[in-house]
Amino acid sequence: MDLTGLKWLQQQQMVSPEFLQIVGSDGREELRRVESYLGNNIYDTIDGCISRTSSFQMEPEKNNEENRTVALLNKRKPEGKTETRDQKKKKIKAEDETESSMKGKSNMSNTETSSETQKQDYIHVRARRGEATDRHSLAERARREKISKKMKCLQDIVPGCNKVTGKAGMLDEIINYVQSLQQQVEFLSMKLSFLNPELEFHINELSMMPDLRSFPLHQQGSLDYSVISSNQTTSPGAKIESSSSWDIHSQCVYNNLRTDSVSNFFSLK
Amino acid sequence: MASADKPINTDVPEKDVFALHFLQSLSNLRRQNTFNSPEKTNDRVKKIKKAAYVSMARAAGGTSRLWSRALLRRAAKETNKVVRFSRRKKRVTWLRRRSNRRDPVEEEEKEAERLRNLVPGGGAMETSKLIEETAYYIKCLSMQVKVMQCLVDGLSPK
Repeated sequence: MDLTGLKWLQQQQMVSPEFLQIVGSDGREELRRVESYLGNNIYDTIDGCISRTSSFQMEPEKNNEENRTVALLNKRKPEGKTETRDQKKKKIKAEDETESSMKGKSNMSNTETSSETQKQDYIHVRARRGEATDRHSLAERARREKISKKMKCLQDIVPGCNKVTGKAGMLDEIINYVQSLQQQVEFLSMKLSFLNPELEFHINELSMMPDLRSFPLHQQGSLDYSVISSNQTTSPGAKIESSSSWDIHSQCVYNNLRTDSVSNFFSLK
Repeated sequence: MASADKPINTDVPEKDVFALHFLQSLSNLRRQNTFNSPEKTNDRVKKIKKAAYVSMARAAGGTSRLWSRALLRRAAKETNKVVRFSRRKKRVTWLRRRSNRRDPVEEEEKEAERLRNLVPGGGAMETSKLIEETAYYIKCLSMQVKVMQCLVDGLSPK
């Protein structure tokens, strides 16, 4: 069994008495051997992340040069045995606190092959320093990170979210934005209902037009409203138009639309 | 808005699709022949608003999104229509709804609660899925607002 991982631990002075207890009687022996290695350079191969399999064998893992702390060493509960039995490790980048203290170079070799052969049916999580390794807290942490990643995406969509940081402020902004959008829909529908009480759109012909998506989308076409305004017969102050004038309006609109296409109509903004 | 988000896929159909659906729903309203002047304005406004939401839900991809499904279901309930969903998704939604009835203990859950009330169908989603749906919903809403704004501007007297 390779002891370089244990040696690294010893150098980091993170070995707690609990650790020894859990490792078992063999561990003591090995740690004594480890002490003899102190002062030597760290092997190039191992960078000392110790993972625990269900059989309590200490197998140090090859790792990238991003450092990670062994999750077992901090905050160990007395019944930590069973909980760390199936230690999960995902590929989360750990904080690089102890790298500066590491001597020697760390290998760039992959850990995936070794970890995969050992635990193929587990999700692998790398815990950060100072955090518990319970399965529940690990899952919780992973979930929280997923959520924060998605919130960042949402931040790009909602305008004006860049200034406020933190989850609470951002959520407030998002909620305000959604509410304002819904209010806008309501307001515009009210406007629409005032504009044409008859809702004469003559859309039957429109719907029989060829597929609208094939029309050019972002043309700067100008809808010819001069035709419409000349036909207008309502009094200037009236909000609600009379139905007859509205029919003429819609006809004109339709005629223009037939030449320009609906996409131009709706790309005025 | 071009969206290259990896975690969230927010590709919304173009404005034309929304416009077409909205116009079609409005023409349906007209065909129902309930738009005579004796009717109160409020009812008319409500019908237009409902038509707007339903057309938005259809334009945004029918039943492929949770919120659109919830919107359509809500609208269909009032008109006693039968909306067809695939069975499996319906059951999953139902199960989610059952398991999600926990008290918002964490701070985050309390805020998510407010979002859930806003987005249709939010009660049946987990928080991460809720955020995805919110992003898509916001994009669709803004597209619908643009369409309606264009329509109003085009039809208002000059």
